[in-house]
Formats: sequence, structure tokens, C-alpha cells
Amino acid sequence: MNLEDELRTALRRRDPSPDFAARVLARVQAEPVRRASGAWRRWVAAVAACLMLTVGAAGGYRYYEGQRAKAQVMLAMRIAAGKLNKAHKKVQMLNHRSNS
Amino acid sequence: MRMGRLLLGLGIAAALASAQQVKWNYEKLAARASETVDVSLSGNMLKLAVKFLSDEDKDQAQVKKLVAGLQGIYVKSFEFKNKGDYSAVDVESLRAPLRTAEWERIVGVHSTEDGEDVEVYIRNAGKGVGGLAIIATEAKELTLVNIVGNIDLETLSELGGQFGIPEVEVEKKK
Amino acid sequence: MPERAAPGAAEMEFAALVRQHQAMVFSVAWQFLRDRALAEELAQDVFLSLHQHLATLESPAHVLHWLRRVAVNRALDVARRRQRRPMVSLQDAPEPVAVNSTGDPMLGSALRRLVAALPEKARMIVILRYQEDLDPTEIAGILGIPVGTVKSQLQRALTLLREKLSRRLGEISL
Repeated sequence: MNLEDELRTALRRRDPSPDFAARVLARVQAEPVRRASGAWRRWVAAVAACLMLTVGAAGGYRYYEGQRAKAQVMLAMRIAAGKLNKAHKKVQMLNHRSNS
Repeated sequence: MRMGRLLLGLGIAAALASAQQVKWNYEKLAARASETVDVSLSGNMLKLAVKFLSDEDKDQAQVKKLVAGLQGIYVKSFEFKNKGDYSAVDVESLRAPLRTAEWERIVGVHSTEDGEDVEVYIRNAGKGVGGLAIIATEAKELTLVNIVGNIDLETLSELGGQFGIPEVEVEKKK
Repeated sequence: MPERAAPGAAEMEFAALVRQHQAMVFSVAWQFLRDRALAEELAQDVFLSLHQHLATLESPAHVLHWLRRVAVNRALDVARRRQRRPMVSLQDAPEPVAVNSTGDPMLGSALRRLVAALPEKARMIVILRYQEDLDPTEIAGILGIPVGTVKSQLQRALTLLREKLSRRLGEISL
């Protein structure tokens, strides 16, 4: 028996309760209301809401911008690769004909 | 001349050049198009995209390798409502920026099956390839691709097969 | 062209992040604290923080690293705030009390109890090494301690676990 392998088995990840994600999302949605108890917190929440709508345009949410950029790269490469592959295959076909 | 081998032989690791974006004038085409796909990625956005490409997904991992050394990726694809909404003159004007000493047309093919013409140009930059340009035309669609930087054409071409583009069968002797 | 993420889409993306990483965050907390309710509460807090900080994170790898670091630090904070156990050296770690094994094999259950009885730092190092499969350098980065300390703590923890386990189950191999 290998202790390190047994530790990996014994300490393997476990799932939380089935409704864990739902409870997290419920808390996320409840957060701005709970935090609006003080006037300065209401102001911060309002500014944050505006920023979500406008700063996003300037690339504030880098995670979402990154996902968008990734999607654009994949789209561009699919298009480029498709055209190039088509040309390549046509050339192969022509070569085959000229050699036969 | 064995065009196939020439194309394959261009799977290169060449020195990076001070490559530039092709200055296509496509405003008139864009104005007539019913739909446009527009991808413009360079500099920091390209680097950001690379960070988000997964090493575990086969396609993304391959794209990540292809894209890592690039300075820019530009794609414009115009779809038109009717055949004839763009002309041969329009296409000729797109070829103009590629008629310089820097650019070399390495392949031009015409497919009678689907009527698509594909022209592939590479940008010579000192000792190696500094960029790629593709002009692809169909009856109701025109696509421009410009990749700036060192690109491995062979890998990119193989990727086209993996992205679900059906393999074109070589005609068998009758 | 891909559209900017609308608020609904952003929530969906965040929910996807939660589902993707919830097992990791919960398990770090649970293996360390051995209190399911406390571990779930801690894990929820970690994801709330993630929602607040998501704008600053640059890539999926960055998100994973950030979540691990915050989960580890919060677990250590919670353990410190709980009623302290007397500080013991690794050599004197007490025999574990019985824990609900929930039908796990005897060996796994025994190991978990032994790990839970390790001093906090050693316990977290073992969890990060064998649950998260991190190497000593990565563990050192998360805990903010020298790599040498991680290695020596890990070695001593393994030696102690081996000794205590062998007393329970007979001879075991390296």
C-alpha cells in the first residue's frame, strides 16, 4: 500500500449540498439590499451598478472581456483555417490529377 | 510545379517581422452587405484571449499555439442578399494592397462545386513569413482574412480539417 | 460578432463558475475544519467574495488560484477563531476521536481522522498536496511560506501519519 496514493483517495474532493450553487446565487442577489443599510453603502451600490453598465465598455470586467476575446479568436481561426484548408485540399486534388 | 508541397513546406518557424495589417478598403462592401462578421484583435486583447484559451481542449490548445506569437488577427466576412451585390472590380480593389514586393500570392484556387475562389498570400519579411492574407469569394459571400505575425500555415490548414470542415476526397480514377 | 454579456448572461457565467469550483472550495474547508455546516458557510463566503472581485481576475487559471488562496486563508482564520487546541508538536499529535465515517473504507476514514488531528499548517499542506495535487512551490505561494518549510512539514507529516497508521493497521509500505 502506498501512503501517498491512499491520501489522494481519502482526501478526494467532495460535493457540497445539491442546492449549494442556488444558495450562493441567492446570497449574491441579496447582497446589495443587505448592504444598503447605511447611506454611504447605498451610494457605493449605486455607483457600482452604473459602473457595471458603463465601465464594462472600457473593459472593466476582464474575465468577461477575456471570454469574448477568446470567442473571437476561435471564430477567426475557424474562418481562416477553413479557407486555407479548402485551398490546400484543392491543390492536393490538382496534384493528384496531374500525377495520375 | 508541386503547389501542394510548396504549401505544405510553408509550415514554418520564421523570425518575427515588423508585420503590418493589410489596408483593405471595404467600406463600400460593408455598406452593401446584409450581414457582417468582424473580428479585430491585436495587442493586449490578443494576449488576453490567449490566456483564456484552454490547454485541455484540443482545438483551443492548437489555436493557442498558433496565436501565441501573433501581433494581430483581422477577419471581415460579408454576406450579401443577392448574387452580383459585389463585383469583380470590388475584388480587384482588394487585391491592390497585396500587389507589393512584400506580398506573394502562393495559391489561387477555384472550386466549380461551390463556386468559391480562394487566394492565399504570404508576407515576406526578411528571412521568413510575416503575415498571411486570404481573399475568399463566393456568389453571396466575401471573406477577408489578415493575420499579422509569424503563422504556421500547415498547422492552420490542418486545423481547418479538425473544425468540422469535411475532407475533400481526391477523385478516384474511373 | 459575439455580443457583450448582458446582466443575465453574466449571472449565468458566475453560476457556471460556482458549479465548476464548488467541490474544490468546499472540500478544502471540510477536510480542514471537519464541520460540514461550517465548511458550506465558509464556501458560500468565498464565492460571495469572488463575485465582488471577479472584475479584477484575468483568466480561468487566475480564478482557480484566487479561489484556492481565499478558501485556504478563510479556513485558517476560522480554525484560529475556534476554541484553540493546545499547540502540540507533530511527534505528540493525539490519536483522533471517532468521526462519522459515512460508510467510507476503513483506511480512508482512518487517514482522514489522522490528517484532521495534524497541526493546522501541516494539515493544510497535506490537503493542498493530496486533495489539490499541488507541488510544494505552489503550496508555498498560497500559504506565503518558504518552499523549504513546506517540504519539511510535508515530510514530517507523512512520517507521523505512517507511524500512526501502522499502529492501527499494521505495517504499511512507503
